[in-house]
Amino acid sequence: MFDLAREIGQSLSNNKLRTTLTGLSVAWGIFMLIILLSMSNGVTNSFKQHVMAQGSNYINIFPGNTSKAYKGLKEGRYIDLQDGDIATVESQNGNFTKQASSTMRGSAVTISSSKDYISTGYEGVYPDELTKRGIPLTHGRFINQLDLDQKRKVVVLTEQNASILFGSPEEAIGKNVTLKDLSFVVIGVINPRFGQETYIPFTTAKALNGNDPSINVLAVELKNVKTEEDGTQAENEIKGTLSRIHNFAPDDDGAVWIWNRFKQQLQMSMGMNILEYAVWIIGLFTMLSGIIGVSNIMFVSVKERTHEIGIRRAIGAKPRSILVQIITESVAITGIFGYIGVFLGVIIMEAINSLMGETEFLTDARVDISIAIKVTIVLIIAGCLAGLFPALKALKVKPVEALRDE
Amino acid sequence: MSSNAIITLTDVNKTYPGIVPLHVLKGINLEINRGELVSIMGASGSGKSTLLNILGILDNYDTGEYILNGTLIKNLSENRAAELRNRLIGFVFQSFNLITYKNAVENVALPLFYQGVSRKKRNMLAMEQLERMGLADRAHHLPGELSGGQKQRVAIARSLITKPSIILADEPTGALDSQTSKEVMQVFRDLNSDAGMTIIIVTHDPGVGAKTNRVIRISDGLIMPDENV
Repeated sequence: MFDLAREIGQSLSNNKLRTTLTGLSVAWGIFMLIILLSMSNGVTNSFKQHVMAQGSNYINIFPGNTSKAYKGLKEGRYIDLQDGDIATVESQNGNFTKQASSTMRGSAVTISSSKDYISTGYEGVYPDELTKRGIPLTHGRFINQLDLDQKRKVVVLTEQNASILFGSPEEAIGKNVTLKDLSFVVIGVINPRFGQETYIPFTTAKALNGNDPSINVLAVELKNVKTEEDGTQAENEIKGTLSRIHNFAPDDDGAVWIWNRFKQQLQMSMGMNILEYAVWIIGLFTMLSGIIGVSNIMFVSVKERTHEIGIRRAIGAKPRSILVQIITESVAITGIFGYIGVFLGVIIMEAINSLMGETEFLTDARVDISIAIKVTIVLIIAGCLAGLFPALKALKVKPVEALRDE
Repeated sequence: MSSNAIITLTDVNKTYPGIVPLHVLKGINLEINRGELVSIMGASGSGKSTLLNILGILDNYDTGEYILNGTLIKNLSENRAAELRNRLIGFVFQSFNLITYKNAVENVALPLFYQGVSRKKRNMLAMEQLERMGLADRAHHLPGELSGGQKQRVAIARSLITKPSIILADEPTGALDSQTSKEVMQVFRDLNSDAGMTIIIVTHDPGVGAKTNRVIRISDGLIMPDENV
């Protein structure tokens, strides 16, 4: 083993420049592969963390206007979704509906404590809003079903607003604030990434606004959906229910606006997968060009060493010995320089990660161990192939002719 | 067939294929005994290079039989041919054919590498052969740093290291000046007389032929009647 290594070492260092240049092309290919994969992982991880953290099994339905006549009713009719529809959808579409909810936006109000006041809008929500939007709750609790049932006057503030009103988020919990001349209790504090939203129970919000039964969104959390077809079916069935209640044609696209987040998520997931595959393919082709470089050089090198190979065979080298020597040389180049490429790629990505920290678009941009293993296997196979064909060609020349070379 | 024969060629024919096939060896019958110092002489195109290649198991022949040291050399696989070349034959070429990036010791040791001998052992054996040739002080020089005569002696050392049955030399003095040629021929003569090596030298130089004990003439693909010198 060592003997062979020595033999190859001597052979490769005989032409250091050529060996290095060949090796660099392999190293470059692998380096690019690592960078590409790391970047792609960074984008995918970021996507998973930010976008997919928000609840994705949702369909949001908004009221619209009918686009065609139906059952004697003219087109252009506004479909007024009502809070009663929430319970109806839950009961009639139970196979797909885990939970239905709604939200109601309230206009700017003043919320004041003994210390200070803020001017803010608010949103009346169901308890599932917390997971739906992926809002981080840092203190206390969020709105629950009891709050909803009893139309309690409870409020959830952001950390920033809580600090303004009470000095700190911890101080705010359990304290009273005045909202629209009514006394509300602060039950929880949140720390959302964007915005300064204030939350109260949906039913409370309705009560504050004259108990108008109209809702401007019907959110349905789905269950039993896996594929795009499931998503479409759920959408159609729920729309069907609403079409019966509100008398519009089930295929009327304008009567209600549907935002199928589930389907959207699936499509984006697929997009992410395609991105990953595309990156692998590009990376592999880049690597391939490096390997072709090695094969090219092995052909040239072997051709130049025809005379030497002739001598070796004349003094007793079996064909297998020549094959092993050349293939091992080839594998040595791809292996060693390939690993330099991996090494540099990983180091550069670590440097980029620590310099950039966590940004909106890149999270944890690195490759894991299994990649290193896959790359090794590919490198070895490639090295073998790059050396095999030149070696076979060399062996076709008879030793007598090889000796006459030069 | 003498029992002391180390090489026996019986009715060996070889034709090179082509648009006009070339019948180069037309029925060679030849016997060389153990311990002989023999030269094979012939003009260009006589078939002596082809005969040399066949003797050296570097090429195959069409009909007849070639027996070397009791082994029939016929229709051998490339693997077997390489093995027999390694064990039975020591080559010396006109252009020395040393590997340019290996030093003298490594060149001499190379045949043993293909026998699987360990590095330490084969380098030791190589040094022995170099001492025998009087080149111990040049052991770590590269071929580029050696004179023609020194290179040829390294090549001879290499040819001896596997303790072969025969030494086959193809115009060994062709690239050397007359003084160095004399020295190299003396090496062959000493190897033959002291160590009893069977040596076959292919040449067109009558001066070289004169220094051997037997001249085999080949002409037009056939062996001419023998002359003893």
